[in-house]
Amino acid sequence: MLLETKGLTKRFGELTAVDEVNLQIQEGDSLSVIGPNGAGKSTTVNLITGLLNPTEGKVLYRGEDITGQEPHEIVQQGLSKSFQTASIFPDLTVERNAVVASLGAEHGSFSLNFLRRLGNYDDVLERAEQTMRDMGLYEQRHVEAKSLPYGDKRRLEMALALASDPDLLFLDEPTAGMSPDETDDTVDLIERIKEERGVTIVLIEHDMEIIFRVSDRIAVLNRGAKIADGTPDEIQGDPDVQEAYLGGVEI
Amino acid sequence: MSEQTEAATPGESADASGLLDRWDGLRERESFSIAGAIAFVVVFPMIFTNLPAYNGYMSLVELIYIWAIFAIGFDLLLGYTGLLSFGHAVFWGGSAYAAGLFSANVSGEPLLIVLVAMVTAIVLALIIGILSLRRGGIYFAILTLAFGQMMYFIALGPLGGITGGEDGFTGVTVDPLLGALELGTGFAGVLGTLLHDIGYVLFAGFFVLAVAAAVRIVRSPYGAIFQAIAENEQRVRFLGLNVWRYKLAAFVISGAFAGVAGGLHTIHAQYVAVGSLFWITSGDIVIITVLGGIGSIFGPVTGTIAFLYVENIVSGEIAFWLLVLGALFVTVVWLFPAGIWGIVTGIRSTVREQLLGDDS
Amino acid sequence: MSVVGSVVGFMIQTLAVSSIYILVAIGLSITLGTLKFVNFAHAAMYLAGVYIGLGIALELQFSGDIARSIGLGNVGLDLGFLAALAIIPIITFGLGLLMERFVARPFYDRPDTDQILVTFGILLIVQELIRAFVGGRSLTFSRPAWAEGAISLGPLGTYASWRLAIIGITSVLVLAVYLYIEYTDVGLAVRAGTEDTEMVNLLGVRATRPFLVIFGVGSGLAGAAGVVGGPVFSVVPEVGVGVLVPAFLVVVVGGVGSIVGSVVGGLLIGAVEVGLVMNAPTWSSVGIYALAAVVLLVRPAGLMGAVEVDE
Ligand SMILES: Nc1ncnc2c1ncn2[C@@H]1O[C@H](COP(=O)(O)OP(=O)(O)O)[C@@H](O)[C@H]1O
Ligand SMILES: [Mg+2]
Repeated sequence: MLLETKGLTKRFGELTAVDEVNLQIQEGDSLSVIGPNGAGKSTTVNLITGLLNPTEGKVLYRGEDITGQEPHEIVQQGLSKSFQTASIFPDLTVERNAVVASLGAEHGSFSLNFLRRLGNYDDVLERAEQTMRDMGLYEQRHVEAKSLPYGDKRRLEMALALASDPDLLFLDEPTAGMSPDETDDTVDLIERIKEERGVTIVLIEHDMEIIFRVSDRIAVLNRGAKIADGTPDEIQGDPDVQEAYLGGVEI
Repeated sequence: MSEQTEAATPGESADASGLLDRWDGLRERESFSIAGAIAFVVVFPMIFTNLPAYNGYMSLVELIYIWAIFAIGFDLLLGYTGLLSFGHAVFWGGSAYAAGLFSANVSGEPLLIVLVAMVTAIVLALIIGILSLRRGGIYFAILTLAFGQMMYFIALGPLGGITGGEDGFTGVTVDPLLGALELGTGFAGVLGTLLHDIGYVLFAGFFVLAVAAAVRIVRSPYGAIFQAIAENEQRVRFLGLNVWRYKLAAFVISGAFAGVAGGLHTIHAQYVAVGSLFWITSGDIVIITVLGGIGSIFGPVTGTIAFLYVENIVSGEIAFWLLVLGALFVTVVWLFPAGIWGIVTGIRSTVREQLLGDDS
Repeated sequence: MSVVGSVVGFMIQTLAVSSIYILVAIGLSITLGTLKFVNFAHAAMYLAGVYIGLGIALELQFSGDIARSIGLGNVGLDLGFLAALAIIPIITFGLGLLMERFVARPFYDRPDTDQILVTFGILLIVQELIRAFVGGRSLTFSRPAWAEGAISLGPLGTYASWRLAIIGITSVLVLAVYLYIEYTDVGLAVRAGTEDTEMVNLLGVRATRPFLVIFGVGSGLAGAAGVVGGPVFSVVPEVGVGVLVPAFLVVVVGGVGSIVGSVVGGLLIGAVEVGLVMNAPTWSSVGIYALAAVVLLVRPAGLMGAVEVDE
């Protein structure tokens, strides 16, 4: 088991945003989390990745309890997250973005020297270049991140998340706001990441087509609680899901 | 790779462009900054002491180097890491007292005094940093201000017997540099014109060292991470980097610069005023750095020159100079966040565009 | 003096000192809680309370350099302390509205550091304006005659009426603001904002009326604190920061965004200060920082703050 949540619960005051959610993710078995807006999908991811502390419940990664650890500790163990809104370094060049990301990957444990030139960290620079090439951003390496087109920004965001070579990658609505072309490219990219890097992906998405292309399993959240969990075929046929989420619409 | 951060300009255009590129390549080199700093300390007094209303004393020039070291360190924190401290008087004043006490009781060797001052500041920065970074960004200014004021009251009250309380510390004794070189000994001939005396070499030398250290830090992985934290702290955290520790590192590094400056100031003034710990000193370094322009090495230096010129020279002409300064400060924050140096570089790039025509 | 008497005496002194800090802290706390806005210029409202209050209650002498060069003399309405206490909150409420509209609002979308810097600059300008017009020396803000004496509380002892007056005035003001925030729509924004800024942002209320009013109310209290504090603390241009720092500590200790927190924090800070003044005077100004440090280490969110700190 790569990741497991046990009774994961988050309350904001009166509101129970995540309600005793149990998820199980096997290595190489990509999961999609779906559910209507406000169902608690992003909150669940935030609980797992350490941005929020759960009110109750546990997160186990490779059998080890990581509940309540700091995000950087969790990332260092091989989890990574791509944000719903492109979270990049807007005033730095694409190259600088990639370099900082690979600094995190290579030296998250604080072994850097503040009097040594960055130019002497070959491993870091190589990894940064590799990441940029992989994501097709190398040509734009001297461009300030903020002046990239929207789709490229999202790709840079994903490049940052991938720089640490994660085993498990959370993608929170990676195609939100994208044009159909950009969406297509992004889905291709996700499939490539899965295959070439062997990353297990947890995808939060609305678009059913994408979900069926990318995921091996689907978990459905509604009002914080998990109401179904299974293969795409099973979910498609589940009356509860149709009722709660799809409002009876055929998929 | 990191040497080529300037955006690549298409090389097909005129000679001017090629020359500029080469110039940029040169400017990017670290040795260039150090050479620039050395040239600066040779040339600067000649210009500065001839400014209007200036009565020609070198002491102010030395004071500028000392404050500039303080400001450069402060900018590593504010400009590069995005952390605004309102308590830097602690490191300036605390190290100044440590320097004074050390000179009176242990040794008057200037280099040892500066070392003790720096170590004191580092220890203080660790303690205050750990406390002030307990809460998120916006609390940092409040907490550093508060702990800064705490040190002021400690120096006034409980430690009054050692620090001299309101009267300040008067027992400073400074020995010759390396046991032989009186700080007041002047040089003869050309050396005298360029470097004045041993004291000048000491203060100017530390200024050059501070520039060199700052340039190196900015270009180290720390520099990259500091800037990333300033831009998007949460992202840095999700890259697996321990933001808290890097912020603490920035705070301590910045404190160390302030400590060197504070120690030098004790040597320079032969006295430590309790006001060196007061919030107004913290406010001064904020104003200096922001006025000059954050996020560069030259900005804080520019700010220091402007501030000390106004404080020491213009203040004789305009009684309410602080009011003018306050208004100027608000104007800069409001309309020109890049400060005086930002305005200069802005003009420079406009001129460049004119020079190169419209290829952009 | 009996044990009961000295305990009550300690409490009354504590309450009197705490009162001023609490009045200043509430405004800081609610703007910090709702808008995540660190407002150094809040101290300017305290200064306005002191100096304008002095001009209303008694007389304000203009002896700064600028005032002298343009021949400005003394201005005094001589209306008495209570008149100042009634008028000042209205004036500073208005100044607070102006500050929200013209200083805070343009900076909501700029980095936190810019907000802090600009409010610090404004405080500096106000402070230096006072120095340029009124002068930098310490003025006397006399207590009103009716509060000069002492009042006997029977077996509990006899206490300065002035302290009791401060406590009374503060209690009324704090209670009024508390009820206002608990039971009105404006208060709803404060409460919601403190729990979840994101939601407030979504509702788009940031730039609308509740926040204007929040600034006004906070400023009104800080102005009142200036009138009450004028006769207690020194009347010099730097006293703004002198009061601002303990008020910040009150917020840190009590927890952000909660009036109850400000009151609890203020009482603790006051108790530590008074306790040290009585027993270890050289440490009197240091203890409150030590208290804040301990609270930060043990409960970073403050005593009454939400436990989770997600900024
Ligand atoms: N920081 C927060 N404070 C209070 N409520 C929150 C917070 N974050 C999310 N919520 C609430 O929790 C619920 C779940 O939100 P979210 O996880 O973002 O849903 P989803 O991603 O499925 O659309 C929503 O009702 C939302 O308003
Ligand atoms: Mg979401």
